Amino acid sequence: MGVIDFLLALLQDMTLAAIPAAGFALVFNVPQRALPYCALLGAIGHGSRMAMMTAGMNIEWSTFIASLLVGSIGIQWSRWYLAHPKVFTVAAVIPMFPGISAYTAMISAVKLSHFGYTEDLMIQLLTNFLKASFIVGALSIGLSIPGLWLYRKRPRV
Amino acid sequence: MSTDVNPQREVTRLCIQCGLFLLQHGAESALVEELSSRLGVALGMDSVESSISANAIVLSTIKDNQCLTTTRKNSDRGINMHVVTEVQHIVILAEHKLLDHKDVLKRFEHIKPLRYPRWLVVLMVGLSCGCFCKLNSGGWDGAMVAFLASSVAMYVRLVLTSHHLHPQINFCITAFVATTISGLLIAKGPFAMTSNIAMAASVLLLVPGFPLINAVADMFKGHVNTGLARWAMASLLTLATCIGVVMAMSLWGLKGWE
Repeated sequence: MGVIDFLLALLQDMTLAAIPAAGFALVFNVPQRALPYCALLGAIGHGSRMAMMTAGMNIEWSTFIASLLVGSIGIQWSRWYLAHPKVFTVAAVIPMFPGISAYTAMISAVKLSHFGYTEDLMIQLLTNFLKASFIVGALSIGLSIPGLWLYRKRPRV
Repeated sequence: MSTDVNPQREVTRLCIQCGLFLLQHGAESALVEELSSRLGVALGMDSVESSISANAIVLSTIKDNQCLTTTRKNSDRGINMHVVTEVQHIVILAEHKLLDHKDVLKRFEHIKPLRYPRWLVVLMVGLSCGCFCKLNSGGWDGAMVAFLASSVAMYVRLVLTSHHLHPQINFCITAFVATTISGLLIAKGPFAMTSNIAMAASVLLLVPGFPLINAVADMFKGHVNTGLARWAMASLLTLATCIGVVMAMSLWGLKGWE
């Protein structure tokens, strides 16, 4: 893949990630002034994750590093907006959320009880459940670490 | 009731109101504890100790070795970052001695949760699910299906929420509607060549992302009991969603999305 192709794909990925970040910010009733920053942060987070995954990292570690990045930027912005960083950052990581894995795992569990045990369903349940749990953990801990690390003693805002 | 007799009582009420606002509108426990104690210290208390559980908050203020303790029941009012931001601004103003406890009370009474207009939320959530479909390599036609299905589903969800329906039942019905629309569009409608990812993407509006992230953050910061409660709540919501999806699939004879 050439550099131009990669940049175009990255641009498309970032645009596609910005819309869900803003959409879910509306669901979370983020104040109006913060909405564009949510969208920008969502684009940065998902774009950096895509770049890392293209470079060959696995999805859990790239999610973790992307959410560390989102958390650090969120803390910087929260200091001039005087709001808790979670106001921006949670909506921004929603595009990286492993929704389809979580649903696939849960639907496999429901099917297991409906149709009885098969190994395929069990494999599907376990792999998707573990993937979803690790990605949620990576997202959440990645968002929390910059705050605990940089501002241990004094309050962030 | 005279207000001047015991200012500590007034401040205790304000502190627990502050904590309750934050807890009801989806702030994580560390923030609830931090802000209620900062407000108390800013208004002249020696220290403020609080104990937070999933559906109640207990808080004591200590001044000159006098303790006052009070409890409030917590009912979930839905995630609202606007309220969290407003409370945070009030606490910061009080810390800079720009507000005394009467002003804080007045400001708390004037907090009105921000609600975005329904059509805007429906449109943006529909577009979001379309984007999710495209991001998960479902193609542009899949994105169109996800957009249609999830817009209708989001409208249903908001209408049911405004009637205060139980959240799990609400999620189940919404997931049923979303899967029905997207599945029938793919199986019987004009989108026969579309990838089945669109069906999965159209229920992504129901993923309890905020509670799950708060759950892990709470447990990570030592609030294990509220974290587990949030995790259990989010899992129940996911289970309700999946039951809605499976009901729609078996009713209309749809295939899964693998």
